[in-house]
Amino acid sequence: MKPDPQQKISLKNKKVLVVDDFFNFRLTLKNMLRSFGVMYLDDVATGEEAIGKMSVRRYDIILCDYNLGQGKSGQQVLEEGKFRDYIHYSTIFIIVTAENTLEMIMGAAEYQPDDYLMKPFPKELLEKKLKHLMEKKENLTDIEKALAVNNYAQAISLCDDLIAKSPRNLSEIMKLKGEILLKNGAYYEAAEFYDKILLMGNVAWAALGRGKTCLMTGQYPEAKNIFEGIIAKNDKIMSAYDYLAKTLLKMNNPVDAQTVLMKATTISPHAILRQKNLGDIAYRNEDYSIAETAYKSAVKQGEHSCYKSPGDYTNLAKSIIHGDNPEEGLNVLARARKVFPEDNEAGLNITITESYVYKKLNRDNEARSAMTAVQKIVEDLAGNIPVDLKLEMARAYIINGDYKKGTEIIKHVVQDNHDNNEMLDNVRMVFRETGMEDSGRKIIEDSRQEIIRLNNEGVKLAADGKLTEAIAYFERAAARLPENKIINANAAQILMRFMKEKGVSEQSLNNVKTYLDRVRKIDETFKDLPMLLAMYNELAPED
Amino acid sequence: MTVKMDFSDILASTLHDTKNSLGLLFNNLEDIIANCREQNCPSHVEFYNLQYEIKRLNNSLIRLLSLYKAEKSQLAINIDYHSIRDILEDVSIQHEALLNARGIKIETDCDPALFWALDRSLIAGVLDNVINNSFRYTKEKVKISSSVESGYLVMRIEDDGAGYPPSMLFNEKNNPKFKKGIDFQTGSTGLGIYFSEMVSAMHVKNEKNGFISIVNGGTLNGGVFSIYIP
Repeated sequence: MKPDPQQKISLKNKKVLVVDDFFNFRLTLKNMLRSFGVMYLDDVATGEEAIGKMSVRRYDIILCDYNLGQGKSGQQVLEEGKFRDYIHYSTIFIIVTAENTLEMIMGAAEYQPDDYLMKPFPKELLEKKLKHLMEKKENLTDIEKALAVNNYAQAISLCDDLIAKSPRNLSEIMKLKGEILLKNGAYYEAAEFYDKILLMGNVAWAALGRGKTCLMTGQYPEAKNIFEGIIAKNDKIMSAYDYLAKTLLKMNNPVDAQTVLMKATTISPHAILRQKNLGDIAYRNEDYSIAETAYKSAVKQGEHSCYKSPGDYTNLAKSIIHGDNPEEGLNVLARARKVFPEDNEAGLNITITESYVYKKLNRDNEARSAMTAVQKIVEDLAGNIPVDLKLEMARAYIINGDYKKGTEIIKHVVQDNHDNNEMLDNVRMVFRETGMEDSGRKIIEDSRQEIIRLNNEGVKLAADGKLTEAIAYFERAAARLPENKIINANAAQILMRFMKEKGVSEQSLNNVKTYLDRVRKIDETFKDLPMLLAMYNELAPED
Repeated sequence: MTVKMDFSDILASTLHDTKNSLGLLFNNLEDIIANCREQNCPSHVEFYNLQYEIKRLNNSLIRLLSLYKAEKSQLAINIDYHSIRDILEDVSIQHEALLNARGIKIETDCDPALFWALDRSLIAGVLDNVINNSFRYTKEKVKISSSVESGYLVMRIEDDGAGYPPSMLFNEKNNPKFKKGIDFQTGSTGLGIYFSEMVSAMHVKNEKNGFISIVNGGTLNGGVFSIYIP
């Protein structure tokens, strides 16, 4: 007889959370768990309480009902738990359902739980499932520890050790290894790894990963082929649509990107991020009715979601004013104010949009007084304004007749994003909408040229061998333009070249890291990023 | 004006409904059995028979729905790299209680290091079907095993019953396409085999398709069902 490995697994030290709106069912479930030896046991009735509990205690096992009544659904608890990093790779999350709606839930889910359980179930089944999953997950804790301190090299080598041993959760570990490689910018290694898996069979997540390596390294036609291939084989793999749309945007084809996302939202409408994305692209394509529908679902789905944002409301309001009933836009904004009462940034966004909507309704006085309110919030925020809000603000100033303030803001946005075609497109759209297409073109071009000149001067210094001057030059430029990708990338590169020749200093390494973090934050698909990260890893001491 | 619905769609949605009711029925019965067992009432064995029939019905419906989806080109294949032992053990856990109640032992035999790229739920559906059938014909023992044979993964279900009737036998050497007709004498619809064949053939690698074989003999000297995945 073979020893049963499950005998060794104990639930005694596991922290378990039970989420169900029915007291009696929580009681039944708790009794079952106690009979398996579980000692740390919490239970709550709503998704909101569940998130609250998860924020103060790290659970090993979460059993969550799907239909929790009014608030968050079980799926949203899973989504938010992952989003807030309360649920890790090693956490066991099981969704419990009363009705047999499994197929519906599974079809739409972006985040998969580790398992589903149909109510009612015998306690033997629960015990077997838990022990099975625990055996599977046990080996992930060390990898997680390495990831928590950003030690990617060790995480990868732990994955390799495990893969060599063929554990039950081999696929999960391979998937994790691929994700770590991608996150670390090791795109060529990742591509090779995914190719090897694809030799064994047509595994969708591996094809998806392979496609991402193409997207990240600028091989857009190849990426497009791969993502289309995945969808052709299985049209329910939703993230393939998202990445295909991303690729099409990179290929300057927003119309096809919109079509792809429209198809995806028909198959799986309950995905808030995709609806937002579709809204943005449709709005850019001036397809306002599609944008309106998409933002409407985003607002509705956002109600209990961690992805709720004021932008969904303001975008909806902006889409609505192009339709038959523009006044409705003001109602949407009034609702937004109620939903985000304390949030300054939200307040700014809503007030800017209010001004825009009033202006479009020819209520000029109200539009102008909204801009006075905007001015005040901007002062309160002391410069911390996200770039999309800056553009909104510029647009609002311009249509209210304050060209100087508007174009001044736009100049800064262009200088920060002089090589970002998507952002420049957004800027062009602002000019187009405000009837300033021609003068706008000149403003964009001049601001771009200024940065290109600035950058080239620094590059020339470096090329002439004046490395110290080049470093000082780029340091100043990066301080002036912290949001500019190229300037920060070049600042990092020059500094690293210097260290390669003259030796490493901790101070400079820290600066490089700051620059690279900025670059990654601005555009994680920047084509030079893998090269820069590789350079950095070479210089940085192993820890 | 009413739009005329496609009859197959009506059928499919009704099937769905029926399947959901069966699921509830099955679970309620599970509770009753558990209560029964606690109170030592002898009829819980009878209930197992009920549960078995529900399971059979449920399996048939799932199969039908899969076939419907395949017909409508909605059946997507979802390949991942799976531990084969895991799949076999999962299937065996599902049936253990029912089989044991009939005095039948179920045994799995698989190298823990065996992994293969396949659609887990489709394959599990095939195995479920076959094991559920063996419930009727097996005397004492069912064995599920798996191994690699000339580049194919083979999953095999053997029993110690009287074996399959000659009309159902077919194998890779002598592989007559299964006649899709209902045999009113035996009551066999042949859907089970049709479904298994379809699932095996959906697995394609390097231009090789999967296939199934049904023979008699094997290590338990009964029926032997095998599914081959490239």
